[in-house]
Amino acid sequence: MGIQVKVPAVGESISEVTIANWLKQDGDAVKVDEVIAELESDKATFELTAQNEGILKIVHQKGDTVPIGEVICEIEPNGKAGVSKPSAPAKEESKPSKQETEAPAASSSGKLTGAVKEMKVPAVGESITEVTISAWLKKDGDIVRLDEVIAEVESDKATFELPAEANGILRIVAKEKDALPIGGLICRIEVMEGVPAGTSGKGAAAATPAASAEGTDKSYAAGHPSPAAAKIIEEKGLTPGQVQGSGVGGRITKDDAQKAQTGQQKPVESRGQAPAPSGPPVISNGQSRSERREKMSSLRRTIARRLVSVKNETAMLTTFNEVDMKPVMDLRGRYKDKFKEKYGVGLGFMSFFTKAVCAALKEFPSVNASLDKDEVIYHDYCDISIAVSTPRGLVVPVIRNADKLSFDQIESEVVRLATRGRDGKLSIEEMTGGTFSITNGGVFGSMLSTPILNPPQSAILGMHNIVERPVVKNGEVVVRPVMYLALSYDHRIIDGRESVSFLVRVKEMLEDPGRLILGI
Amino acid sequence: MQYNVTVIGSGPGGYVAAIRCAQLGFKTAIIEKYDTLGGTCLNVGCIPSKALLDSSEHVHNAKTHFAEHGIDIAPPKVNFEQMIRRKSEVVKSNVDGIAFLMKKNKIDVHTGVGSFVDKNTIRVSGKGKETVITTEKVIIATGSKPTPLPFAPFDKKRIISSTEALELKEIPKHLIVIGGGVIGMELGSVYARIGSKVTVVEFLDSLIPTMDGTMGKELLKVTKKLGMDFYLGHKVTALQNTGKEVIVKASSKDGKTVELKGDYCLVSIGRRPYTEGLGLDTVGVELAKGQVKVDDHLKTNIDNIYAIGDVVRGAMLAHKAEEEGVFVAERLAGQKPHVNYLLIPGVVYTWPEVASVGYTEEQLKSNGRAYKVGSFPYKALGRARASMDTDGLVKILADKLTDEILGVHIIGARAADMIAAGVTAMEFRASAEDVARISHAHPTYMEAVKEACLAATANRPLHL
Repeated sequence: MGIQVKVPAVGESISEVTIANWLKQDGDAVKVDEVIAELESDKATFELTAQNEGILKIVHQKGDTVPIGEVICEIEPNGKAGVSKPSAPAKEESKPSKQETEAPAASSSGKLTGAVKEMKVPAVGESITEVTISAWLKKDGDIVRLDEVIAEVESDKATFELPAEANGILRIVAKEKDALPIGGLICRIEVMEGVPAGTSGKGAAAATPAASAEGTDKSYAAGHPSPAAAKIIEEKGLTPGQVQGSGVGGRITKDDAQKAQTGQQKPVESRGQAPAPSGPPVISNGQSRSERREKMSSLRRTIARRLVSVKNETAMLTTFNEVDMKPVMDLRGRYKDKFKEKYGVGLGFMSFFTKAVCAALKEFPSVNASLDKDEVIYHDYCDISIAVSTPRGLVVPVIRNADKLSFDQIESEVVRLATRGRDGKLSIEEMTGGTFSITNGGVFGSMLSTPILNPPQSAILGMHNIVERPVVKNGEVVVRPVMYLALSYDHRIIDGRESVSFLVRVKEMLEDPGRLILGI
Repeated sequence: MQYNVTVIGSGPGGYVAAIRCAQLGFKTAIIEKYDTLGGTCLNVGCIPSKALLDSSEHVHNAKTHFAEHGIDIAPPKVNFEQMIRRKSEVVKSNVDGIAFLMKKNKIDVHTGVGSFVDKNTIRVSGKGKETVITTEKVIIATGSKPTPLPFAPFDKKRIISSTEALELKEIPKHLIVIGGGVIGMELGSVYARIGSKVTVVEFLDSLIPTMDGTMGKELLKVTKKLGMDFYLGHKVTALQNTGKEVIVKASSKDGKTVELKGDYCLVSIGRRPYTEGLGLDTVGVELAKGQVKVDDHLKTNIDNIYAIGDVVRGAMLAHKAEEEGVFVAERLAGQKPHVNYLLIPGVVYTWPEVASVGYTEEQLKSNGRAYKVGSFPYKALGRARASMDTDGLVKILADKLTDEILGVHIIGARAADMIAAGVTAMEFRASAEDVARISHAHPTYMEAVKEACLAATANRPLHL
């Protein structure tokens, strides 16, 4: 017995249709959803699709006019699955016409369970008491999936990503830039079952099925730049993610792009307190004299607090020396290609300095020591902290057991840590526990500086730029590449004799790298 | 002579690149092989074909619609010579316009074939004159040429390309068109309307196969009404000019053969990139499948040489070449523009016109994207009924979850102009409901776009 196919109701005022064309012949095998005929009403043309698989039996011929509801053909199901199309998504039950079923499809597949998951600030490290929400990656009302990253959180030591702890709708509690104690409430997730498969998980559409698209817009097009804005953003060296969109649904307008600041931060909305009108009267000469106020990040605040306390709580002073860099540069010039070829990492100066420092630290253990109240802790290993400048500020990752590492291992480690630092990926473990620090102001062109201690360490070596200077060798003035070195130290545990001798040893080994090998 | 930028080829890609370069302060030269500027588009492509399309449309209206409009006239006769003459005048005023623009922007025009001596030196061989120019950057914009059938080259008498089809001396009695793509359908419909019998032989099973399937189907319906004949799914096996007529042999997939006799055969099976005489091998510019190989910034493997338009990958469209011309000029000036290739609209200037942008339904299906469809027929449009242009429809494809518009496909009167609204909406990533909530003037054809968006967003068109 064939399944009857009737003329579907195609519109209110339409009572009959004309068969414009049979796309399948009588006796043809047809598949589910395959278009078998074209029907014409006085308003439009429709396609008639097969509702089941089988053999077509035509009842009305091409050109016939058939009232709505009348049988126009039959499809005889055939037992053998010869023409089956397994991938064809068998759409819900009876399906009158393509036009009707395609459209009302916006309904959601997720279902609220009624449960609410509260997400709190996790304990991220021993000494950390509070964190700052540096950026929400999802918006209030967005659908988030388990383990999807929803926010970036910053502590004074590192930045980490916050993954969603449940599938569901995000309800934000803490705003961007808010500082929260450990255990503080960050957000709630209204737990859903069967969260939509939509890859991005964006789109509140599923939550409010038939509602207007405005809500929907906000999520999927947020941060989408207009063509002109896209060009401006790229020319400023920014990405759309760094610009706050003020257009419909969070789109980035040309004006947004023009006002965007180069240098990471999204435009900051001032929080209540108006800037104090204290400056001198504005002289209008066409130049902008605007100011802006920005809350210090948690990282910056910590840096500030610690630097001041080092100044106040230690007896810090600095000793200087100079190094003739010619021997190291000659050695490096001779072998840098072979080194790169063999180890796949460039031979820089950091490995020489680290090796020299480690050797000197062994000879002067107090420089490698730290003070804990009334006790001095001596370390028989050298964990060297290296200062890395990142967009978020200065970070100081640690090269562990630097004294045991070969030149190439040190260079690889420096590259790895610097890259992670720039990407904001350094973990707290990677930044704690150094016994001595090296900072290189030379990369920015510094001639000489007095570095500040990295507590609880007792000393820090400052490297500077290499400049050709006249020096006297064997009674003659010659031109040599010279770097000034500075060693800041805590005089409470390191005496002048040790600190000065330490720096002289570093100088000696750099000026005669052979001594590095022989340990003399 | 020393230039900052030299453009080879003065088609819409080349001359636009030259103007933008000049605007940005580069000392710019343009090299053109032919006597007139404008390339294929202005001389033997877009502009002349549109001139003839409009003429033929007037004929068609006079013949079939005037009486119904209440205009009684003697049966119109086609003065084909005048039709071609008017077309040539249109071409002339356009190419003169380009010459004026070159002068206005202080761009030096060198007439002749440009070929590389080295990567910074180009020899221009004109009629009895040779000029050598040196240049910092080069933009290759030499375009494309019609592809002949391998077994039947163009004889330009009866076996013709689009170029000759725009310059015929008589109206063909029976024009056989090989290739049911954009060019074949445009020129085929021109001659069908001014009285030729037109038969189209197409290898694939649908017309304009690169566009959304619905468009090809509708176009087939409309052009059949015009009296055009079609052999779809037919492969041409032989084509011969016997002197007085052409004979085309074709076979269908199930092996049935047909033989067609006509007085002209238009071969419109595609176009191929044109790089002859450029001397690309002397500088080592790499080709891939005949196209000049370029990176994402349209730079060739040679550092100072760029290429744009039909000669590189992508759709062979004048407006795509123009975007690329501006893109390269601005890149050279250190700016960072974008070309959004997904949103380059495609247009077929038949009547009704076909225009589309974004993804086709077939692409969305094969990408596995969840989408919804909304369409609205011209038949239900007041404006269309008033002007008796009731053929066609608007089809909107939107993301099932977010309602974002993913494709706009229009066949109908004014489709080519209407598609710009679709491109704008998609550039700003509008949802179907966004467009549906934007006021559209009444009565206009654009109301069909609004209605189709209503249909796509929640199946709630107002006038259906």
